[in-house]
Amino acid sequence: MAETGQEIGAGVLVVTHGAFGRELINAAETVLGPQERTESVGVDVDKGVDKTVEAIRSAIQRNSDNRGTIILTDLFGGSPTTLSLSLLKSEKVEVVTGVNLPMLVKALQSRQKPLAEIASDAAEAGRQGIKVAGALLNAKPGSKKGKH
Amino acid sequence: MALIRIDSRLIHGQVIESWLPYTGATVIVVANDELSVDIMQQQIMSLAIPGGVECLFVQLDELEAQLSDLAEEDVLVLVSNCADARRAYDLGWSYDDLNIGNVHYSPGKKQFSPSVSLSSEEEGCLRYLYKKGVVLDFRCVPNDPVQVRFPA
Repeated sequence: MAETGQEIGAGVLVVTHGAFGRELINAAETVLGPQERTESVGVDVDKGVDKTVEAIRSAIQRNSDNRGTIILTDLFGGSPTTLSLSLLKSEKVEVVTGVNLPMLVKALQSRQKPLAEIASDAAEAGRQGIKVAGALLNAKPGSKKGKH
Repeated sequence: MALIRIDSRLIHGQVIESWLPYTGATVIVVANDELSVDIMQQQIMSLAIPGGVECLFVQLDELEAQLSDLAEEDVLVLVSNCADARRAYDLGWSYDDLNIGNVHYSPGKKQFSPSVSLSSEEEGCLRYLYKKGVVLDFRCVPNDPVQVRFPA
């Protein structure tokens, strides 16, 4: 939500294999509207490690404010995560793994909070967004499907 | 030996999620001189390794000694480039099969597959190993159908 004259908050970076991050941001923007200082970095295995770390670092520097930047990555243990973590000491960032749309939306909604809070809110939202929807429907009293 | 793999990313998603379950390896040995003295990088790389899998970081010239302490079939060895794979061989560990997973592109390199691009030096290392009888396996992930003509 880009408010004129109001602070936007921490930078938001989505670092993933391929174009996953780019598409996640597109999806978040259909829900929340256009976002500023929000960027994706696609990690291609055909690029060297040093080049990839530099791409992440320059994306951080382009998008940070004095709060820092929250980095959301796809796979715990994947190189988007390990390469982002290697910047923990030199840049003001926090890394949350397992990015999904609920997590990204929450991060964008929470970006005016301190970095550590954005991270824990985003992680929680990512978890809470995962439901077996059909089972929820069945469990509702008075639902057509009845109880199972 | 479960596997020796060349991967410029060393420990990452493909290794943890595909090669570990595929080989059933319980020990990962990362043979890399730079990484063997970088404790923080070691910690970062080891974060997502499943419980029950051990991870060791050694210098290239310690590799053979380290391997003699372990049961062959349990081990997955990672080196980051072709030169290291050749050095490991010349230092005394004559492995039979070499998996070439990720060798990143840079200008001047010839692309052999979506994940492997080789400079003339790198080609030379692999050709040397090939002549020694090492079987070269260019799969990036275990169920890769990629067929690479090598030597080209």
